Amino acid sequence: MQPPRRARLWLSTLFHIALLTACGGGTSPAKHAAADSTTFKVALLTPGPISDHAWNAGAYEGLMRIRDSLGAHTSYIQVKTPADFEENFRQYGAQGYDLVFGHGFEFQDAASRVGPEYPKTIYITTSGNRVGKNVAPMVFGFEEPSYLAGIIAGTLSKTRVVGVIGGTELPPVKSSFLAFEAGVHAVDPNVKVLTSYIGGWNDASAGKEQALAQIQRGADIIFQNADAAGLGIFQAAKERKGVYIFGSNSNQNGIAPDITIGSVVIDLPHAFLTVAREVKAGQFTSHVLYLGSQTDVVKLVLNPELRRLITPTLQARLDTTQHAIEEGKIRPPRIEFVDTTAAR
Amino acid sequence: MILFAFLAQTIRIAIPYLFAAAGGVAAERSGVVSLALEGFMLTGAFTAALGSFYSGRPWIGVLCGIAGGIVLGALHAIASIRYRADQVVSSIAINLLAIGVTRFFLHLAFDSSSNSPRLPGFSANVAGEGLFLGLLHNPLIPIGLLAIPAVAWVVYRTPFGLRLRAVGEHPEAAASLGVPVRRVRYIAVLLSGALAGLGGAYLALDQHQFTDGMSAGRGFIALAAIIFGRWDPMRAGLACLLFAAAETLQIQLQGTQAIASQFVQMIPYVLTIVALAGVVGKATPPAALGRAE
Repeated sequence: MQPPRRARLWLSTLFHIALLTACGGGTSPAKHAAADSTTFKVALLTPGPISDHAWNAGAYEGLMRIRDSLGAHTSYIQVKTPADFEENFRQYGAQGYDLVFGHGFEFQDAASRVGPEYPKTIYITTSGNRVGKNVAPMVFGFEEPSYLAGIIAGTLSKTRVVGVIGGTELPPVKSSFLAFEAGVHAVDPNVKVLTSYIGGWNDASAGKEQALAQIQRGADIIFQNADAAGLGIFQAAKERKGVYIFGSNSNQNGIAPDITIGSVVIDLPHAFLTVAREVKAGQFTSHVLYLGSQTDVVKLVLNPELRRLITPTLQARLDTTQHAIEEGKIRPPRIEFVDTTAAR
Repeated sequence: MILFAFLAQTIRIAIPYLFAAAGGVAAERSGVVSLALEGFMLTGAFTAALGSFYSGRPWIGVLCGIAGGIVLGALHAIASIRYRADQVVSSIAINLLAIGVTRFFLHLAFDSSSNSPRLPGFSANVAGEGLFLGLLHNPLIPIGLLAIPAVAWVVYRTPFGLRLRAVGEHPEAAASLGVPVRRVRYIAVLLSGALAGLGGAYLALDQHQFTDGMSAGRGFIALAAIIFGRWDPMRAGLACLLFAAAETLQIQLQGTQAIASQFVQMIPYVLTIVALAGVVGKATPPAALGRAE
């Protein structure tokens, strides 16, 4: 039976409201290029919401710092699906942007495909792995502060079981977890390290259940790297006595100050600004931009409210380890996921 | 001990499925497609968070969650019953609407596009001893466990349930006997909205927070459980528990590091596909499902 006309009208209205609101998050550029062609133009694509207090928030802050410090015209899009990566890269290339950031490992393939089409635009992916003429990855020495966090966890754990929980098994996440584990085992090789992946970055309830399962297995310190799903891990720890968390990417110490020992932080704004400055000055050459703890881009930020947990002996050990890393005497394990074959 | 922990986790994971499946069975048995459970649930989670945050009382949040589910249920009911729109299309529109509206109001109310601040909620006591009594600390858990038997009782043991089934199998015959077909369907769809909204309220109040897209496909899993359960409330409830057990297994196996995480994460989905692909035998939906009267 053909639905009556009014039904179609009702449905189509419903559909349009739905589409309008569902896409309102910004699949179209936040601001159109009103600026003339001489303005330095920078764009950012993020895989998730910029208010996640973590990975995406840091990138957006970086973009704002580029706008304020370098007087750049900026634009930002939260990309919904991998299918949109290329489309959005292309759109900014066509609009004559000088620098486009794809914020994550997952932007890599799209960047190396679109790069050659717009040679005047520089495409940077955060923790990507391939270098092209105008395509380059920023790689963070996230392993170094993760190793330090592991030393703290290995020292403080009362149950001698600690856990790591990630969103999905991305190479940078896995690499950071391996370094954490090495730090734990540098203190005591008998401490058990549990590893779990939630299978996504947004489902907080799933994150909570993963954490509860690890806690039930005895873990009393959890190092998490799961963006919005990680909020569930903080919640799980709040509900159980004596469980502590390490945060990731941004300074997450404020989410649950009573249980967060510290955060392994990437100073994304600093990293973004450094790269943008090079590009603006015309000094940018395509290479893997390695940013380790010497550059101050990555560091372990301890939560002042739980500072009492860090005894002088432990602090001394952290300091010597930090020096040894800087001098190259200790090399935290690292998955080499950088592929230097040029993009097609 | 491990077994108790496994069962307790299965129950915690199953609660949102049970709420949504209980509502969905009622709506589907009345002949209205319930693909919109996901949208009802997401909206319920958000309104529950709003209610709890502004009143400071989780119970107000529960009521708001029910109300949020009912409002979207009403939209679906008006589109598919009054205007006889295609119910699948209407459901999809409702699901998209829920994603957009919750995100929009999240931004408006809390100035965030990803999550609300912390709010009063219920926490099951998951500590060591007394695992099952601990579950009662979250009152929505016992309510969720009772939702399925309650709906089963209504569907099979009450005059209203008889009308509901009649309307879903043969609306013309029911109408000729004086059953108010539309009214019965309205009630069933609003009930599905209310129950799925409760499922959403459980998610938000257990997490003490609303996060964007927090239903994360649970409404669709509930619908799969309904089909797996051949539109019978009790069997659908068992299917919910089975799916939740598969997820628990996934979570517990990860901790052992015996198998690659990607493989373990497939278990719930593989189970769903295998189940729906015919292990359960031929699934016959209510004859008038998806058809306007």
